[in-house]
Amino acid sequence: MTDSARVVSRRPRSRFVAVFVYTLQSCIPPKRWIAVLLACGGALLFGLLAHAVDNFPTAEQAFANVAAEGIFSLVVPIAALIIGDAVMGAEVRAGTFHFTWLSPTPIWQIVLGRWLGGSLVALVTIAPATALAAVVAGAPSAAGPAYLAAAVGSVSYVAIFIAIGCITRRTAVWSLAIVFLVERLLGAALTGIAQLSPTWESRAIFVGYLDDPPTRLIREGIPQGGAAVVRLLIVTIVALVVANWRMGHMRLSGAAD
Amino acid sequence: MTVVDTSVLGDPAFAVDATVEMADVSVWFGAKVALSDLSCSFGPGVTGLLGPNGAGKTTLMRAMTGLIGVNQGAVRVEGRDPRRDRKVHGRMALVPEDESVPAGLTARQLVRYTADLYRIFDPDAPDRALQSVAMLDVADRRVDGFSKGMRQRTKIAAALVTDPQVLVLDEPLNGADPVQRLHLIELFKQLGADGRTVIVSSHVLNEVERMAERVIVLMHGRLAAAGGRHAIRDAMDDRPRHVLVRSDDDRRLGAALIGLSSVAGVTIDTTRDGLVIQTMHARDLATALPRLARDASVRVLEVRALDDSLESLFRELVR
Repeated sequence: MTDSARVVSRRPRSRFVAVFVYTLQSCIPPKRWIAVLLACGGALLFGLLAHAVDNFPTAEQAFANVAAEGIFSLVVPIAALIIGDAVMGAEVRAGTFHFTWLSPTPIWQIVLGRWLGGSLVALVTIAPATALAAVVAGAPSAAGPAYLAAAVGSVSYVAIFIAIGCITRRTAVWSLAIVFLVERLLGAALTGIAQLSPTWESRAIFVGYLDDPPTRLIREGIPQGGAAVVRLLIVTIVALVVANWRMGHMRLSGAAD
Repeated sequence: MTVVDTSVLGDPAFAVDATVEMADVSVWFGAKVALSDLSCSFGPGVTGLLGPNGAGKTTLMRAMTGLIGVNQGAVRVEGRDPRRDRKVHGRMALVPEDESVPAGLTARQLVRYTADLYRIFDPDAPDRALQSVAMLDVADRRVDGFSKGMRQRTKIAAALVTDPQVLVLDEPLNGADPVQRLHLIELFKQLGADGRTVIVSSHVLNEVERMAERVIVLMHGRLAAAGGRHAIRDAMDDRPRHVLVRSDDDRRLGAALIGLSSVAGVTIDTTRDGLVIQTMHARDLATALPRLARDASVRVLEVRALDDSLESLFRELVR
């Protein structure tokens, strides 16, 4: 439909930026936002719950225990699942992903745009909510570590859930199975799995940066603090590479199938 | 690179200047075979893809655009494999039948998004594409609030903004009102006349006839027939057809009808409460019936073709 006589030079958004903006505009509908915000509310409730835990010497330690079991093991994975499924799996199931896939946009730009869009949503919702939970718990010194741990954990999860969305249409089922069966059950018993788990590694980031962490939260064989950040970044990169590979082989048979 | 044996040129299933080629293509989903050993090609102009529901039209269109891979055979668009060479996607566009549209976007945002992905530098291109399908006045309304026909037109605009050389449209007239149908048919014909390869699927023969010179008929995932639209229509006209006629005196009308040369048989169908007329010349029957009824003083209440669906045509074609 271009009319060469009327062509006026305009610099269109780059494909990558277009995918990123589209992800923010279209992939997270109001219901998903509400679900994410509910998860954030859950994080704040865990912050309040820390006041009820009175067998720790400091508020920071009380919050650390609640956050490790409640926020990093439950709230962050669920919030990230809602976001990660929205930016990939839900679009495939809805039959609208072809609008993006069927363009000459390089696959890696689609994967990266989707991941960055989802990550941004996580960084402005669940990560601040986790930091706020520390403040609510009366442990403002834990807010920084909590933000960092939730941020790194959630962007890693989003990458993993995007990869799962490229592999199967049952993104939510497989993602929940990975979080609760592989990470929670197997990860609790096997250090090798915990070393690759965003749940365990985000806990390790949080604990590693606390001034006075509870000793029960320090797990042998799992890198702490900055080393855990690096570990999760590697997991994230691997997940994005898998997503990039699988996206090129997807069978987009439509919403009805 | 062509994947079609050049010795088949002259076969109506193959276009002379093919831009889209399917060679021995089979696609299955689990135990269900959607396409079976299908070979055909498409060239510039409008080609209609006809078939009843479940014939494999949508699968064929998804295969030719690379949305799904084929289990056997080869697909080439302008000599390239759309599954492996993403650059070819810059030359083609698909309008799928699915009603689903991205949530939260206006029509203009969706078309602009597509334009950005295809690196369309003309700032007026999105509005022009929307204008071409008469959607410019509602361009700032959200697509997920549109009716089926409006969604379809928005998707057509999103395809047109990419300036595709190969345009694949899956049931594009679904949900469109009569005026829009006419408009879209003219648009597709114009695109074909411009030298683009336009492939339009439908299960309505009359629709396809109005826009496509060449028709490919699918049934059960196989090629049932191919050729010019007139050849397909002739195949339809020359077969025996059944027409239901309901009147206020079926017996008297039936007796009168038996004398007509265009009538091969008449039966009284009590379940349908009328006459079922078998004819080889439906047009002659349609011309003669009113006069005959008037002469016999019979009031005709209803005339309806019983087997005018494509399925019945296809059964005849593949017999």
